Amino acid sequence: MVKIEGLKKMYGRAAALDGLSMHVREGALYGFVGPNGAGKTTTIKILTGLLLPDEGTVTIGGADGAKEPEKTIKMIGYVPDFFGVYDNLKVSEYMELFAACYGLYGLTARKRNMALLEQVGLGEKGDYYVDGLSRGMKQRLCLARALIHDPAILIMDEPTAGLDPGTRYEFREILKDLKDQEKTVVLSSHILPELSELCTDIGIVEQGKMVLEGTMDEILTQINVRSPLMISVYQGKEKALGILRSHPQVETIAIRQNDIAVGFMGDQEEEAILLGQLAAAGVMIYSFVRERGNLESVFMQITNHEEGMVLIHED
Amino acid sequence: MKIKINPVYRQESKVSSRSFRLPLIILLCNSILALAALLDMYFMVTQVRTTAEIQYSSFLSLYIFAAAIEFVMLLLIVPALTSGSISGERERQTLNLLLTTSMTPGDIVTGKLLASLSTVFVLIVSSFPILSLVFIYGGVTVKDILILLCCFSSTAFLAGGIGICCSAVFKRSTIATAASYCIMAFLVFGTLALSKFMSGFVGAGRAMNPGSFMVLLLMNPAVSFGVAIKNQTGSIRSIPVLELWAKNPETSPLISYWLGISIGVQLLAAVCCLLIAVRQVNPRRKRIWKG
Repeated sequence: MVKIEGLKKMYGRAAALDGLSMHVREGALYGFVGPNGAGKTTTIKILTGLLLPDEGTVTIGGADGAKEPEKTIKMIGYVPDFFGVYDNLKVSEYMELFAACYGLYGLTARKRNMALLEQVGLGEKGDYYVDGLSRGMKQRLCLARALIHDPAILIMDEPTAGLDPGTRYEFREILKDLKDQEKTVVLSSHILPELSELCTDIGIVEQGKMVLEGTMDEILTQINVRSPLMISVYQGKEKALGILRSHPQVETIAIRQNDIAVGFMGDQEEEAILLGQLAAAGVMIYSFVRERGNLESVFMQITNHEEGMVLIHED
Repeated sequence: MKIKINPVYRQESKVSSRSFRLPLIILLCNSILALAALLDMYFMVTQVRTTAEIQYSSFLSLYIFAAAIEFVMLLLIVPALTSGSISGERERQTLNLLLTTSMTPGDIVTGKLLASLSTVFVLIVSSFPILSLVFIYGGVTVKDILILLCCFSSTAFLAGGIGICCSAVFKRSTIATAASYCIMAFLVFGTLALSKFMSGFVGAGRAMNPGSFMVLLLMNPAVSFGVAIKNQTGSIRSIPVLELWAKNPETSPLISYWLGISIGVQLLAAVCCLLIAVRQVNPRRKRIWKG
């Protein structure tokens, strides 16, 4: 649905994007993650046509973003990391303005406005001035505004930043609805647990390059291999350590009281064989489990936050 | 059939009709005009009572006075109305949202200009009853008023174009407003001063030089206004600054058709300003200089 190839963008001498490539499947809820200054907002601005890249191509729904911007613009709904509202307009007038910007007028526009305001929980607020809405309501209004022309792709830049947990929950529920409607959503956020819960696909960007991209399952499987194997020994710790030290797939060993954290580079079958070897040697084990990785640990490893790395060294 | 009004224009009109600003501007401007006109009439009537002599030329001076006040108000009000239009959208962070819709940068700039000019148009039309006081005694025809309207319109369009251009070029409304007033001041006073200064080098009495200084004077709305009033009332014998550059001002075709040509040049300048504004607003423009 969205295909970016070799995107480059310079701000003066600083490279904001350095050959970034990105692929978003149709109907995916794509989490776009990266540290501050990694190039997320620049990418989003290029996607929405607000910025021209120095190099590279952007294809949205088969249309070239540079050559056919009028086509791609109609396919995209954009929720920025700011509200962008006219305080002196009423909620319904604000929606009517943006409906008119997409060529929707009269009854068609009014029906669409009402349906969207209902969807985001602002059905009763049509006659309220935007100025009088809370932050959460303004953000929901922005979402309704972005959906006014029924876009195939919704691009959201930090939509839940600064919102309280309750409003974030409501926002997540709306996003789940959109996912059910098979809209393609590109969601940039720093709240990683939120992305883990919602997203089907993830792209991690660092210093203007895509460093990791794939489905959530693929990425978590990849990171789980690098997570330590936690073996809790009831009896025969020395025997266990002897076996582990001589095992070719064991990279690191750390001992925590009765538990042994093993850096084991094997798949599930090899884990089972190792367990069998330990049991055969008379080691009594009461727990044998691979620590589950999460998006936060992936992000920490990829973006080189050493303290968060899951490599275990022998104490 | 659906009438599709420019959404930006519709929104601006809605907001301005709701706000207290437009009625206040109309009230203040017309109050100033009416007060000046009525005082002028009062003094003329007093003169009639004391000297028993009706000076019809005095009524024309009322027309000149009212038109001049309106012209000055236009020069002051239009930049204020337009110079915050695009930069205001930027400050509210709504410009990017408009640009991600099907609206083109041209639509946005046109909508902003139309909204500002419609306010000015209301102002001009609302002042016509005061200007038409002069019809009581004659001397000015409806055609003259229409010519004056053309002159006002070109001035409003030029000032509006400059205001919107500054608003698109400068990110802050305050800087854009200051820049628009500076450019307007240069066009009104600067071109006159420059022309006077340069005439010292070229020397009066030499053959007419239709060069850059004449073009600058053609862009001066005050000169156009002066020529319009001179043509209508005849009470101003000549526009001295034009004669600096013309050997025979009476026979020079440029001087003879000054009003039409200057209105054309001003409209062209306004269009150029609007094109610059459209280019500035367009996020997909190719940069001329890379740095």
